[in-house]
Amino acid sequence: MSDEVVLCYSEETGLAEELVRLARAAAPSDGSRVRAVVLPGAPADAADRLVAAGAHGIDAVTGAASPDPAATSDGLRAVVVATAPTLVLIGSTKRGREVTGRLAGALDLPAATGVTALRLDPDGIRVDREALSGNAVAVERIVRRPAVVAVMAGSGAPTATAVTSVDRRTHPVAAFEAKTERSEVRPKAGGQLEIEKADRIVTIGRGLKKKEDLAIIEALAKALSAEVGCTRPLAAESGWLSDDHWIGLTGHRVRPKLYVAIGVSGAVQHLVGMRSSKVVVAVNKDPNAPIFAQADYRITGDLYQVVPALVKAFA
Amino acid sequence: MAEKLRIWVAVKHGVDVNLARADRATGLVKLDSAPRRTSDFDKNAVEEAVRLRDKRPGAVVTAISVGGPAAREALRDAVAIGADEAVLVTAPNFAEWDTRAVARLLAAASRALGGFDLFVLGEGSTDHFAGLVGPRLAGELGCADIAYVRRLTVEADGVVAEKDLEKEVETVRARFPVVLTVGQEINTPRLPTFMSNLKASKKEVRVVSPADLSVAAEALAPVVVTERVAVPEVPRKQVTISGASPDELAARLKDALRAEGVLP
Ligand SMILES: Cc1cc2nc3c(=O)[nH]c(=O)nc-3n(C[C@H](O)[C@@H](O)[C@H](O)COP(=O)(O)OP(=O)(O)OC[C@H]3O[C@@H](n4cnc5c(N)ncnc54)[C@H](O)[C@@H]3O)c2cc1C
Ligand SMILES: Cc1cc2nc3c(=O)[nH]c(=O)nc-3n(C[C@H](O)[C@H](O)[C@H](O)COP(=O)(O)OP(=O)(O)OC[C@H]3O[C@@H](n4cnc5c(N)ncnc54)[C@H](O)[C@@H]3O)c2cc1C
Repeated sequence: MSDEVVLCYSEETGLAEELVRLARAAAPSDGSRVRAVVLPGAPADAADRLVAAGAHGIDAVTGAASPDPAATSDGLRAVVVATAPTLVLIGSTKRGREVTGRLAGALDLPAATGVTALRLDPDGIRVDREALSGNAVAVERIVRRPAVVAVMAGSGAPTATAVTSVDRRTHPVAAFEAKTERSEVRPKAGGQLEIEKADRIVTIGRGLKKKEDLAIIEALAKALSAEVGCTRPLAAESGWLSDDHWIGLTGHRVRPKLYVAIGVSGAVQHLVGMRSSKVVVAVNKDPNAPIFAQADYRITGDLYQVVPALVKAFA
Repeated sequence: MAEKLRIWVAVKHGVDVNLARADRATGLVKLDSAPRRTSDFDKNAVEEAVRLRDKRPGAVVTAISVGGPAAREALRDAVAIGADEAVLVTAPNFAEWDTRAVARLLAAASRALGGFDLFVLGEGSTDHFAGLVGPRLAGELGCADIAYVRRLTVEADGVVAEKDLEKEVETVRARFPVVLTVGQEINTPRLPTFMSNLKASKKEVRVVSPADLSVAAEALAPVVVTERVAVPEVPRKQVTISGASPDELAARLKDALRAEGVLP
């Protein structure tokens, strides 16, 4: 197994670069080749960026661009058939996970998603991924190759390793078989906040009684130079905040220096989004709220009394 | 499209993530003995299927679960919400079945039991959250799939769906047969009533084996094996800040956070 091929693909070029670096670091031997797939519709500089990230080869698929998962899967399939990889890495975005399943189903390959670490061992490919709604980490062993593995952004890929020569190939796919047709794309409301990058976050939950009261939370966030985060109900149910503030299993994963959870009960699906925070403060009127077990500093009290005092203290 | 819309829904009887406990000494979670319940999004999937059926005279909703005898509970939940038929795919070695095996069995069952126009699944199971079964099923059958559906309309020969991505929402159209995956935001599943529970408990479940579906045991051999599931320990200081007044509390917290070096 000296010259194994690892294929990398993500519709997000930045994530594809991470995959290439990760594959270079994980590759079992010097003879291994890391190749990056560029599909129709990719940014013009994608191939160059992937080479700079360390790809030994570029597989450019030509044909009509389509966001349809079946078409994406067909493009990847053409490259898989031509290059016979032992491993296909895909960026674990929503689209990426969908394509992972589609490709794995079409070619009957093993697959894993939401992967945060990966090792190519002689007895299989081992991956770490979240399980039990993020409460636990599972180690899974994929016993058959090739496998399709969707890797999360930020999975610790080291810096780029230079390549001396690049093998560029083109794979024309005559008829992309799009099975769905997209008629409209609407950017989400808000959507500008990148809460993953925040150093400090003040998160509000259903302890807030009405939308207008967000003002005191925003005031505290301002005093702490923090961003405002929220639990699922505030984004998905009441809509008081847009989705980009939503933290948890189905929202964003954050790792700030300071995380202040106010009126948040601490459901497992929320905790998974904030567990990596450095220092956690919780304010809750219920002394038995599960969030307190995850907090460094606990304040039992009514947020309507505590938060204004915090605003004053930190202003 | 068939005269009568055939809607299938997949329901998983998964580990109850709120009740699963790790062994104190090892941090490992014992999955085989963990309490189980119906996966959350699957109730949304059933609810959506039932609402579509109610708008289409003659439409039939078939709920299917792959698993052991306990998976009948997931089927009971589905019938209590309103599913018309219940199918359990089972075998003595069901605990070995991985995501691939589950998708293959769903595909085989749909072929053997009359096909579908729409197959609705959860976009991820509550315990494992792979998000693979729906797209795998579509990939295997070679039909259209739309994941992460938040709004769904059925037309004469297909569906129009709003697909929720990280930064945008797409409006997507597909013809039957189509595989859809849904999340919690699509609807609020109705709570079962006394009568619907009674009906569900009496509903006969059609039990089939892989052999009944012409799937050989080798075709289901695991390709992904879970070696360990552990709860990561994140030690927290758990210091209680108290004070005679909110202002005193705030001042103490400020001191603590300054000492931590996390203030701007
Ligand atoms: C902690 C943990 C670790 C596990 N590790 C592995 C592993 O390493 N490899 C592996 O492949 N499996 C593993 N499983 C088993 C897994 O839960 C399966 O039952 C199976 O793999 C289904 O896939 P999923 O839950 O990943 O599905 P997802 O793709 O997340 O589920 C999406 C949807 O598919 C449908 N669906 C899923 N399973 C069934 C079912 N059994 N019957 C009917 N419909 C269903 C539901 O509509 C569900 O909402 C693990 C389970 C747990 C709890
Ligand atoms: C599959 C799935 C995925 C999910 N994904 C997510 C996710 O990504 N993110 C997420 O957050 N949730 C998620 N959830 C929902 C999650 O289970 C919880 O329902 C949710 O996190 C609860 O939000 P909350 O803490 O704001 O509300 P609640 O649980 O209602 O808690 C409100 C808290 O506020 C306290 N409180 C009330 N009034 C005051 C006051 N005046 N002063 C101080 N404290 C007060 C209460 O004591 C309580 O602890 C998911 C659920 C499922 C099933």
